[in-house]
Amino acid sequence: MKTLRDRYGIVGVGETEYSRGSNRTTRAMAVEAVRKAILDAGLTAADVDGMMSYQNGDSTPANWVAPDLGIRLNFYMDVVGGGSSTEALIGLAMGAIEAGMCSTVAIFRSMNGYSEFRIGGTGVRAAQPVRGLDLAQVPFGMRSAGQNFALTFMRHMYEYGTTSEQVAHVKVAHSKHASQNPKALLKERVTVEDVVGSRWIVKPLHLLDCCLETDNATCLIVTSAERARDCRPRPVYVMGVAGRVNKPRTDFHWAHGPITRVAGHYARDIVFGQAGIGPEDVDVTGSYDAFTFTTMLQLEEYGFCPKGEGGAYVSSGTIELGGKRPNNTAGGHLCEGYTHGMSMVIENVRQLRGTVDDYCPGAADGVHTYDYGPGRCRQVRDAEIAMNLGWAMPPTGSALILRR
Amino acid sequence: MSVREERPIPAPPVNPETRPFWDAAAAGRLLLKRCAACTQPHHYPRVICPFCGSDRTEWTEATGRGTVYSYSVFRRAPIPYAIAYVTLAEGVTMMTNIVDCDVDAIRIGQPVRVVFKPTEGGPPVPMFTPA
Ligand SMILES: [Zn+2]
Repeated sequence: MKTLRDRYGIVGVGETEYSRGSNRTTRAMAVEAVRKAILDAGLTAADVDGMMSYQNGDSTPANWVAPDLGIRLNFYMDVVGGGSSTEALIGLAMGAIEAGMCSTVAIFRSMNGYSEFRIGGTGVRAAQPVRGLDLAQVPFGMRSAGQNFALTFMRHMYEYGTTSEQVAHVKVAHSKHASQNPKALLKERVTVEDVVGSRWIVKPLHLLDCCLETDNATCLIVTSAERARDCRPRPVYVMGVAGRVNKPRTDFHWAHGPITRVAGHYARDIVFGQAGIGPEDVDVTGSYDAFTFTTMLQLEEYGFCPKGEGGAYVSSGTIELGGKRPNNTAGGHLCEGYTHGMSMVIENVRQLRGTVDDYCPGAADGVHTYDYGPGRCRQVRDAEIAMNLGWAMPPTGSALILRR
Repeated sequence: MSVREERPIPAPPVNPETRPFWDAAAAGRLLLKRCAACTQPHHYPRVICPFCGSDRTEWTEATGRGTVYSYSVFRRAPIPYAIAYVTLAEGVTMMTNIVDCDVDAIRIGQPVRVVFKPTEGGPPVPMFTPA
């Protein structure tokens, strides 16, 4: 197995406010997020010579953002993609540096996901018209991500006896985490009853099973381990990366193999193989929570529990702060805000640095109380290894393992 | 029995590769692609067999009988409707809707049969109803 384990690192992270009405362009937000990440790394604009972004026709490309920051690029690339792009682009940035194309890459995602282009939105807030094979779905009314995922979830409940109440614990855990996050859109803790009592969107998804559409920009900076050691923060190294791995016949994945199997089935050997570790070695996870169910399905597919036992795993307390392996400690897409995966990697970088931006007065210096009561601490004690599980539509996924 | 309000169905896109499928649908017949080399049927219709790579794929008529593999009910629509994956007797699974029934009574594993529903200015689309 080829591996670049520990030879690249994430040295800077930054984000704008999470809001539902930014009143700004994606260009202005991207510039702010990239600038913050550069400052976080202790670098200057002259140190960044690569830039990547991902989008779905809803954002501003790198070659408009870089000039606003006074950055001249040796490499840039804007790709089409949503969830699961973050981890994949970190791998591609490592590849660009490894190939000698550039030395330090800023990766950003900027979107007015609430005020401009909504998932499954209509009218002026509708996304671009769907093209290609997806057109075959139109007569059947398959229009939104929630619909596309729902059939996978229904089958999981049928095959394994998974219940809405079990899966609601994902929202409960992430709301607990968000209550310790000053940036989070939704800071109020919710109960299982709140989730299963909220209105139906698309069976088996209630309103509170779905993430929060958000306006924001996020950025992280990738460079070599040698340069990482000269940067201001404690280095966070990439142990393994996989992306965007997909199931057979991505377009009609249900026609091939069980739909309860997700892309992690194929990605796990790649990412754990590079890292030389297993699930039991991971201290913190960031399992993509476009929906409560996506978090659960990925955790079981990557081996954090046996296949089919995800419902029991996510409702056992394990994924909550104070539990054995907390998931999405910033609140994730369900509570902090929807960023197409970037915020979950940013959070894990901060966890490994020990400088999570919670309500602890000494947080920036790594001084935490580890009191997980509302409005207090969300730092995981001595977190050494963190893993991100990114997901895009049912058949595609990415994964990333980081260590301090 | 009250008159059931039906969701207007957008016309499916018809292209050179899928025209035989839609022409047959207009005649009330459900077609699948079958590989002449490895005999495996598949759906959505492709030019190359996804199992063995042969370019010898041909159209074959399906019985129109199957079972619900999974389904969901979209509630955020003016007229709620059920999207489903139905596994046909021939072994392939296709995206469809379950229609002409109480959407809350649909169950995974339930037997269904094909019906063709008119669309807005296009060929009828194959949907399924409890058998
Ligand atoms: Zn064949």
